[in-house]
Amino acid sequence: MDFDALISGLDRHTLDGITRGSIYALVALGYTMVYGVMKLINFAHSEVFMVGTWTVLGVYTAIGATSGSGLAMVIGATLLALIAAMLASAGTALAVERIAYRPLRKKGAPALIFLITGIGCSMVLVEVFGQVLRVFFGRPFGRVTVNIPAVLETKTVFTIPGVDLAVSNTRILIIVGAIVMMLALDAFVNRSRLGRGVRAVAQDPDTASLMGVNQERVIMLVFVLGGAMAGVAALLYTVQYDITKFDIGFIIGLKAFTAAVLGGIGNLRGALVGGLFLGIVEVYASAVWDSSWTNVYAFVVLVVVLMFRPTGILGESLGKARA
Amino acid sequence: MIRSTKTWQAVALTAVAGLALSACGTTDTGGGSSGGGDEGGDCNFKIAAMGALSGPNASIVVPSVDGAQLALDQWDGGDCTVEMERFDTEGDPAKATPVATQIAGDESFIGVIGGAFSGETRATKTIYQDGGIPMISQSATATDLTQEDPVEVFHRLVPYDDYQGAAIAKYLTDEVGATKVFVIDNAEAYGEPLADRVEETLGDAMIQRDKTEVGQTDFAPTISKIESAQPDAIMYGGYIAEAAPLLKQIRDAGIDVPFIGGDGLYGADFGNAVGEAGEGAVVMCPCAPIDESSTFAADFEEAYGGAPGAYAAEGYDAMTVFLKGLEDGARDRAAMQEFVTGYTGDGLSKSIAFDENGDVPQDQVSYWAYKNTGGTLQPEVEVKPAE
Repeated sequence: MDFDALISGLDRHTLDGITRGSIYALVALGYTMVYGVMKLINFAHSEVFMVGTWTVLGVYTAIGATSGSGLAMVIGATLLALIAAMLASAGTALAVERIAYRPLRKKGAPALIFLITGIGCSMVLVEVFGQVLRVFFGRPFGRVTVNIPAVLETKTVFTIPGVDLAVSNTRILIIVGAIVMMLALDAFVNRSRLGRGVRAVAQDPDTASLMGVNQERVIMLVFVLGGAMAGVAALLYTVQYDITKFDIGFIIGLKAFTAAVLGGIGNLRGALVGGLFLGIVEVYASAVWDSSWTNVYAFVVLVVVLMFRPTGILGESLGKARA
Repeated sequence: MIRSTKTWQAVALTAVAGLALSACGTTDTGGGSSGGGDEGGDCNFKIAAMGALSGPNASIVVPSVDGAQLALDQWDGGDCTVEMERFDTEGDPAKATPVATQIAGDESFIGVIGGAFSGETRATKTIYQDGGIPMISQSATATDLTQEDPVEVFHRLVPYDDYQGAAIAKYLTDEVGATKVFVIDNAEAYGEPLADRVEETLGDAMIQRDKTEVGQTDFAPTISKIESAQPDAIMYGGYIAEAAPLLKQIRDAGIDVPFIGGDGLYGADFGNAVGEAGEGAVVMCPCAPIDESSTFAADFEEAYGGAPGAYAAEGYDAMTVFLKGLEDGARDRAAMQEFVTGYTGDGLSKSIAFDENGDVPQDQVSYWAYKNTGGTLQPEVEVKPAE
């Protein structure tokens, strides 16, 4: 136990925690939106994120972006990768909805069945990247860690005076990017006409249909939005960590789901609060003990929070929050 | 929309069918249809090669099995007809057990090359012992296999892990000249004991120890510990999947001190996964480098279309020992076991002999430090930890 290390480096650990938590929060949005509208945990969402990271690699490879490229190339490649990852992830989420959920919903299957088909979709996607694509295309597909070129190289942009904390360009991109996407999504759901439909279906699907809200379209919209956010998370993740792998989504998905529950599942702002809180708790725990204790500490905090706030830190669901 | 639902179902069905087909395709180990093989003279045998031929760790096993096949192909058997059969375990002890039972129960098998990994070897060595069939492992390095409960039939061509930690520590102090080493492990069965042994050998030359987790990708807390400790070298005990992001983040943070790992990082996948950040990283391995201009390297390249990879020479040597046994007149498992145990001779990888536990004799224990140069591991220097 080394509390001195935590106290002396508190600023640094907080920044590390926010960076980690921003990515959790963006992935958590997908879980929380789907839950808010359908009361369903989409277990294939972790693979929606995974597809996004591979798309980033694909874009970089296709346009030949490598580390050390010129400024125009860096900006162009990053933006193109962002758009492609958002589209690919949203497309994957939509495909999962069409294949695994919609046919069952039409037949009125019990809620448990959706969980199983979701897990099934998740496994299929993992195996597609770990095995099937490898058989057809060879490398880089397969069950190994894959390098993604660091197109955006890490550089210190400024140092916070007083505490002497160096802030790099990648961290700024991750934190600002995550918060901007969150605010945009929050505004969309709370202000726009389509967003009102989402909240209406979340509150009371039957009444919403009677009022002329197309429930199927709302569900599609929710999967697309959640998928697009996972795509953003995928780009930010690759900017920070420069790798991908066929099962990369598993741990991130688990942590993001935890973050969603911690913040209050079904609540968009809860995902942000839960993600950042979980990220910071994990990094603090790793600083005091070591990283092999991260999960112990994180889940103890989850249990303690849920004991006192069973609906999560912010509680409430998508529909009830500022309906 | 009903039409499109049908379409999606069709797509899903096709995808599932594709999966099933490709699954069939990969589980077939291509052993051939040789059956019992007792039709010829009295020297008609099979040798089994057991290991992870598919899955995430195949890149550190397949070259050794190819090496064994090459030794067999080059052998002039005279009256003998010998065939090697490959058994894929994916490195999983649970999958290796039925394979071992099958091999031990088929009398036409006279020897086993493997297990390639320690876990599967631990799970199967008593089965082979009961069957009396000699094993020569090209790459199983866990200490307990021979030091805690040895079996007579088990032999290996690589020294056990206790030596590896000592070799890494020796490299750090003698070659790097490090006095402040930061030691990290992955908190599991391979990395933790290895790092323990490094720590033990380094003594005061280690300044701090940190533990990480399997599956971890964000190492920010470890990086900040490294930054405040200011080491002059970093050692990691673990596998490629975590070493790649760890090393990238170390270099991203501007920490340029030497980085060294154990044979868990040995294999072509390390260079691919870590990219430019891995330049100059060192990997310690009990595998001797293969001279690229040697006839073995040329023959291997011709047969398999690439330079000999991990443990290819050890695989070749393992097969050679069995073939020499047949030349010597061993015609059953007991005779082969006796021959292997007493074998001495020069191999490609080292001068081969087995001590009473089936281990490499202490004076033969040798490691090589490989440096990652432009994405491939190049031999740098030989380290003899036992001296």
